[in-house]
Amino acid sequence: MKAPINLLKKLSGVKLDDKEIVRLISEHIGQVEDFHDLRGDYKGILVAEIKEKQDHPNADKLAIYKISTGDKKLIQVVAGDKTLEVGDKVAYLRPGSKIPYTIYTEAEPVIISKRKIRGVESNGMLGAEKELNLGSDYTKVMRLPKDAPIGEDFAKYYELDDTIVDIENKALTNRGDLFGILGIARELSAITNNKFESPQWYLDNDKKYTEETSCLNIEIKNDAEVICPRYTAISFDNINIQESLIWLKSFLVKSGIASINNVVDITNYVAHLVGQPLHAFDYDKLVNNDLKAKGTARINIRMAKIGETILALDNKIYELDENIMVIADSTHPIAIAGIIGGKDTEVDANTKRIVLECANFDKTAIRKTSMRLGISTEAATKFKHAISPDTCIPTLNKAIELIRELTEASIASDIVDIYSLPQRTKSLSFSLASLNTHLGTDLDKETVEKILSNMEYGMEKEDEGYVKVSIPYWRMDIDIKEDIFEDVGRIYGYNNIKLELPTRKIKPSGINKLYNLKRQIREILSNSGANETDTYSFTDVQTLKKCNQDPEFAFRIKNALAPELSLMRTSLISSLLTKTEENIQRGFNQFALFEMNIAHQRQLVDGNGLPIESWSLAMVICDATNNSQTSAYYLAKRYIAKIFSTLHIEGIGYSLISESSEKELPINIKNLIYSFESNRTALIKYNDIVLGVIGEFNSVVVNNFQLPAYSSGLEIDLNALLNVEQKSKQYREMPKYPASINDVCIEVNKDTQYIDLENEIKKIVNKDKLWGEVSCIDIYSKGKEDSKKRITFRLTLRHNSKTFNSNDISSIICNIEKNIREKFDATVI
Amino acid sequence: MHTLKTLEKIKTEILESNSSYSEFKEKYLGTKGLVTLALKDITTIDKKDRAEYGKQINEIKNICNDILQKKKLQEEKIHTSKKIDPTAPFDINTPSDKLPEILDLKGSKHPLHKEVEIFTDIFKDMGFDILESRQIDDDYHMFESLNFPKGHPARDMYDTFWTEDGFVLPAHTSTMQNRALKKFGPPPIRVVLPGRCFRNEATDASHEHTFYQIEGIYVDKGISLANMQATIKTFLEAYLEKELEVKIQPAFFPFTEPDCEFIISCPFCDKVGCSTCNHSGWIELMGCGMIHPNVLKQGGINPDIYSGFAWGFGVDRLTMIKLGIKDIRLLRDSNLNFLRQF
Repeated sequence: MKAPINLLKKLSGVKLDDKEIVRLISEHIGQVEDFHDLRGDYKGILVAEIKEKQDHPNADKLAIYKISTGDKKLIQVVAGDKTLEVGDKVAYLRPGSKIPYTIYTEAEPVIISKRKIRGVESNGMLGAEKELNLGSDYTKVMRLPKDAPIGEDFAKYYELDDTIVDIENKALTNRGDLFGILGIARELSAITNNKFESPQWYLDNDKKYTEETSCLNIEIKNDAEVICPRYTAISFDNINIQESLIWLKSFLVKSGIASINNVVDITNYVAHLVGQPLHAFDYDKLVNNDLKAKGTARINIRMAKIGETILALDNKIYELDENIMVIADSTHPIAIAGIIGGKDTEVDANTKRIVLECANFDKTAIRKTSMRLGISTEAATKFKHAISPDTCIPTLNKAIELIRELTEASIASDIVDIYSLPQRTKSLSFSLASLNTHLGTDLDKETVEKILSNMEYGMEKEDEGYVKVSIPYWRMDIDIKEDIFEDVGRIYGYNNIKLELPTRKIKPSGINKLYNLKRQIREILSNSGANETDTYSFTDVQTLKKCNQDPEFAFRIKNALAPELSLMRTSLISSLLTKTEENIQRGFNQFALFEMNIAHQRQLVDGNGLPIESWSLAMVICDATNNSQTSAYYLAKRYIAKIFSTLHIEGIGYSLISESSEKELPINIKNLIYSFESNRTALIKYNDIVLGVIGEFNSVVVNNFQLPAYSSGLEIDLNALLNVEQKSKQYREMPKYPASINDVCIEVNKDTQYIDLENEIKKIVNKDKLWGEVSCIDIYSKGKEDSKKRITFRLTLRHNSKTFNSNDISSIICNIEKNIREKFDATVI
Repeated sequence: MHTLKTLEKIKTEILESNSSYSEFKEKYLGTKGLVTLALKDITTIDKKDRAEYGKQINEIKNICNDILQKKKLQEEKIHTSKKIDPTAPFDINTPSDKLPEILDLKGSKHPLHKEVEIFTDIFKDMGFDILESRQIDDDYHMFESLNFPKGHPARDMYDTFWTEDGFVLPAHTSTMQNRALKKFGPPPIRVVLPGRCFRNEATDASHEHTFYQIEGIYVDKGISLANMQATIKTFLEAYLEKELEVKIQPAFFPFTEPDCEFIISCPFCDKVGCSTCNHSGWIELMGCGMIHPNVLKQGGINPDIYSGFAWGFGVDRLTMIKLGIKDIRLLRDSNLNFLRQF
C-alpha cells in the first residue's frame, strides 16, 4: 500500500519529518516495505520554455532547441523530438542531474552531462514521461501545461517534493480501511495522540446528488446479492475528457497508478483516498452494444455463464464460468466484478457520457476470482481486504463532486442504490482490567478512551472500570474485545509496555522420549564417523523406481513445484541413496550418511483419518577403499548394535529376509525390502515386532546408484523401537575371583545360526553361581563345498565364590559339548 | 654434631627422598654431603657408642649406594627411549600402513539439528515441554483451528502444498497449536513445537520450499503481551549469549490478537549496521502475538479465564546467520564437504 507522505501530513495534521513518520508507521501500523524520498530523484530538473528551434545540421532525427529557465542567457539542448514548438513548456534536466528512470532500473543512475551530440553542444536533456518516471511514453518530450512557471524546480511544480511510504499489504490483511490513504492518516493522527476528524463527506451517507439537466436512465438488477451486498451508480452527461491536472497525475504516479484521463484518474484517486474502488463505463457504448437496452443502461450483477468470455481492459480475453461474478448488460458481461472492466465499455477520448459504479463485493469471491484468473489489480487488492458497504455512498459523492468540478459534466440520473441488508452499527464493552491483563499495561479509563476516540470510535456511557465503544462503520475487522485491545496496544505503543517474565510454579517440564532417543542416536552416530544430513521429503516416481520401491505407496502432491518433487517419500533410504550417489560423484569414497525423519505411506492412516507419522533412522554406508570381500552388512550391524548397547536395548534379533515371510511385514518395511538384497539383509526384530531392515543393497539398486561393492544401509522405525521395553539395569556385585579365559572351537552345520549357538553357551556359563561372557573370535569354513563351519568362542568365566580349577573348567566345557550336540548336532574340536 | 639420633633422621630422609640421581649424590655423598660429614664425625662420638655409630653409618652409606644405582638405571632408561613426533598421525618409529576406517572419520551432527538441540535445551530450562510437529496434516489444524475460515485472504500468505488426497503440508508449526492445547491442557501450558515446514515457493539462495521452524505457546491465567516480549527476549539472550534491545511492530496473523513481529538489535554489529541486518541495525526474527480467543476455544480452553501467547521462528535463517552460510540450499544438499564442517 503506497502512500505519499505530504498528503498523509495534510490529512492528519501531523507535522513531523518524513523519517519519523515512517518510523511511527512501522512501529504502530505495520511493516514498511520501503520508503523513498523523491526529492533526490528530481534534483536539478527545472521547468523551461522553448525559445528557439532549429534543425540539427548533421542529423535528420534531432533538433536543436534554445530554452529559457528564466535567465536572459538561453541554454542550447539537442533533443530527439522534433515536434516541440517555441513556447512549449518542458522539464529540463540540467547537467549533473540524474535521469529518474535509471535510478530504479540501472545499477548506477545515468547522470546528465554537457556533451556534443553529432557535433553540436547539448547542455542537458529534455525529459520524456518515461525518463521522468511519470508515464510510459518515451517517444517525445513531455509537455507541461502553458501556465507552468519558468525556472521553477520541477519536483516542486509537479508535487514530487514528497516521500513515498510503501506499507506491506500482508501487515494490513484484515484492515480494508487502511487501503485508503484516509485510513492511514487517521491512524497517524491517533499515534501522535491527536483526534482525527474525518472529512464531512466521508461521514455523510446521504445521497447528495440528483439528476440535473438531461436524463440517462440506469436500471440495475442484482442477481448475486450474497457476494454483492451493495451496488450504487450514477450517470453523467457532457463529459469533457482531458488530461488530468498536475496534482492529480502526481498523486497517481506517487501511488503507483497509471494516469489515463481525467475521468478514470478521478475514480482512481478517490478509490485510493478512501480504499473503495469505483469504475466508470462509457454510457453510449453500454447502451449501443446492448441489443435489449431500449435507451436505458441495463446493469445486471450476476454469475457468469459457462462459455462466456470477456475482453478486459488489459487487452486479454478471459474465459468465465459460473463461479465468477460479472457486471453484465442485458446479455453480455461488461466487467469482471471488482477486478477489471471490459474493453467494450472503456472510457476513452471520445466518451461523452458515463455510468459511474461504486459497489461492494465479497472479499472471498474477489480473492478466488483474482487467483483463478491470475489478475491482480488495484481494485482486486482493495476488495480482497473487506470494505464496508457503507463506504459506497460517501465515495460516490466525493467522485461526483470531483467529476463535476474537473470534467464540466452534468449529473444525468439520481444515485441508484441497491442495498438490501444495511449494516448495523456495532458496539462493544470491555473491562479495563481485562485490557490491562491482556497487554500487561496499567492504563486508566481516560487514556483508553482518548486513544479510541482519536481513532473515531464512538464513546458510550459505561460503568466505572468498563469502556463501551461504538465501532466506526469502516472498521470491518472489529468483532471481539481483543480486536480493540490490539488497537489500544498498537496506538499506545507496544514498545512502551514494560517487559515482565511470567511467573510459574516450579513443576518440571515433561520428557519427550522420542525426541531424547533421537538425540542419543545423533550423539552415538556422529561420534562414530557418520555424518547426519537433512534431505527433502519430496521425491518422484523415477527415484523410487531407481530404489526398486513402489511409487503407489507414496502421497502425491497436487501442486508440486517440479516433477522431481511430486511425491512424498515412502522411505528415508531413497533420499540417502540419491545423496550417496551425488557424494560419490563429488569424489568421496568412504562415508556413512544418516538421517532421522518421517516417511509416509499413503496406505497408513490413523483413527482420525490422518496419515500415520512415524520417525525413522536411516543410514547408508559406503566404502570404495575396502576391497576385502567382506560384507558391509557387518559394519551397518556394528553401528546399530552400538546404538542398542548404549541405550540398553536388549533382545533384538536379526533374521534374513530370504528366510522370512513377507506377508506379516508392516507396510513401511514391506516397501523397503525391495531395495535390499534378500540373502544379505536382515529384518531387525524385537520378538515378533519388525523394527527395520539392515543389509546390503539389491544389485539393481547398486547398479542404479553406482554404489561401490562395499555398501550397506539400514532403516529402522524409531517409534516402534521406543516401544521396546528397556529393562532398568540393576547393579550386579562385581566378581571377587579371577577369571579364567578359554577358547572353544565348535564345528557345526553351516546353516545353524550363530546367535542360537551363542545364546545356548551363554545360558550354560551363567548358570548357578557362574558369571560368564561369550564372544566370537573366529568363524571359519574350508570352502563352498564344506557343509560345516567352525566357530571359535572365547569364554571368560568366573565363579562367585571360588577360583576355578581345571576340573571346574572342563566340566563346564563338557556341559557345553553335551548341550550343543543335542541341540545343534555340533561338536567341540 | 651428629649423634645416633641424627643418623636415624638422615636414614628416614634418604629413604623418602625424591631427588634425582645427581641431586641425591651431592646432597648425601658429596664432599659436603650429609653422609660424608657424618662419617668424618665418628671421631667425635663417645667411645661406648662409636661401634654402633660406625655400623649405622655404614648401613646408611650402603643404602645410599643402592638408591643411587637404582636412580641411575631409571634415568638412563628415560633418556635412552626414542623421541616421537607428537603432531604426526604416526612416525618412523611406529610405522603403520593402516588406512582410516569409516568409524575413524569425522562424524557430524547436522547444523540445523544441532541448533534445534540448543533451542530446546534453553526452552526446557525455562519449563517448556517439547512436541514435534507433523509433516502432513489436515486443513483443520493448518487453517481452521487457527481462525482461518475457508476463503480467508490470509490463506494467501501461506503458499501451501496439498496432496491429491486433500491433506496439507504444514506451512508453519502453528499447525500443532490445537493439538498442543489439547494435549497439555488444562493450563498452565508451556510447550515448544519444532518441526519441518513446507512452502510452495521457488528455491534460490535465500528461499527454500522446505525449512525448519520452532513454535512456542504459553497459556495460563493472566498472561500478557508484556510476558510474551520478556519471554522471547530472555530466550534470545540466552541463545545469543548477549544482552539485546528488542522491539515489536504490528503485523497480521489470523491466530493472534494482537499480532506482532519481533525485532532485535543486531547481535553482530550492535546496531551499527552490517550485512546481516541490511545495515539497519535491527533484525526481524519472528512472528508472535497473543493467541486469538477462537484458537483457545478450539483447543478446549476458556478465553475468559486464560490467555496466552505464541511465537514461531525459522531455524534455517538463524543457523545461517550464526554460521555465516550464504546459501540456504546447502543445508539440504548433503554435500559431505559441507556436513563434515560441523
